[in-house]
Amino acid sequence: MFERFTKEARAAVTAAQEIARDASTRTIDTRHLLIALARDGGPARDVLVEAGTDVAALVAAATADLRSGGIDADALAGIGIDLEAVRREAERTFGPDALDRAARRRGGHIPFTSDARKSLELALREAIRLKHRTIDGRHLLLGILRADSPGRELLVRQGADVEALRAVAERPAAA
Amino acid sequence: MSTDALSDAAGDDPAVGLRAVRSLRELADRLETLQVARARQLGWSWQQVAEALGVTKQAVHKKHGRSS
Repeated sequence: MFERFTKEARAAVTAAQEIARDASTRTIDTRHLLIALARDGGPARDVLVEAGTDVAALVAAATADLRSGGIDADALAGIGIDLEAVRREAERTFGPDALDRAARRRGGHIPFTSDARKSLELALREAIRLKHRTIDGRHLLLGILRADSPGRELLVRQGADVEALRAVAERPAAA
Repeated sequence: MSTDALSDAAGDDPAVGLRAVRSLRELADRLETLQVARARQLGWSWQQVAEALGVTKQAVHKKHGRSS
């Protein structure tokens, strides 16, 4: 499959791995791919901008989301757990920033989630459907949009219009 | 978003409930990492750690074995 990826699409997959390492996440999902596509120039970024997405805000929100490791203090408060209290107790026993340190991977391979793998497969399918010979950032973006994925959720939370994005991404390339 | 506004608006929202579950899992996972490392430092065997966690020795070794 990867042999049909453009250089830029391959770079996005590699960047997603680096983003995961930087944010100390255990897996790579469609949010990582989305950050890579939105951050680095290319067809996907162009589509996002054209569909009216604030790319900088999207990258900032997505990065913050990754760094939290999925721990949502508000959601925990809703079931009676005070995250700050847990954090304090953990630091008392295990030292400063214990909870953040515990999230850090011991290095090595960070696996793609099935969600992310599915989005890459969908990107291939989108390229076939659109009769495109190569898979570029736009197809990866379509893959993220089609799957019921964390990346799509994030876009929706950021106020993106998924249908508009899809329409722009599916339009034949101008060049 | 303030905590009050969120719990008012979303007390019954499955999305918030599920996010809480996910947060708990991640939190439990991190606490497990810290506790297992400490127990090992204090000389606990893998068998003892496994029994305390209620899992098999193989499972705990596979998950934490590389760290110590």
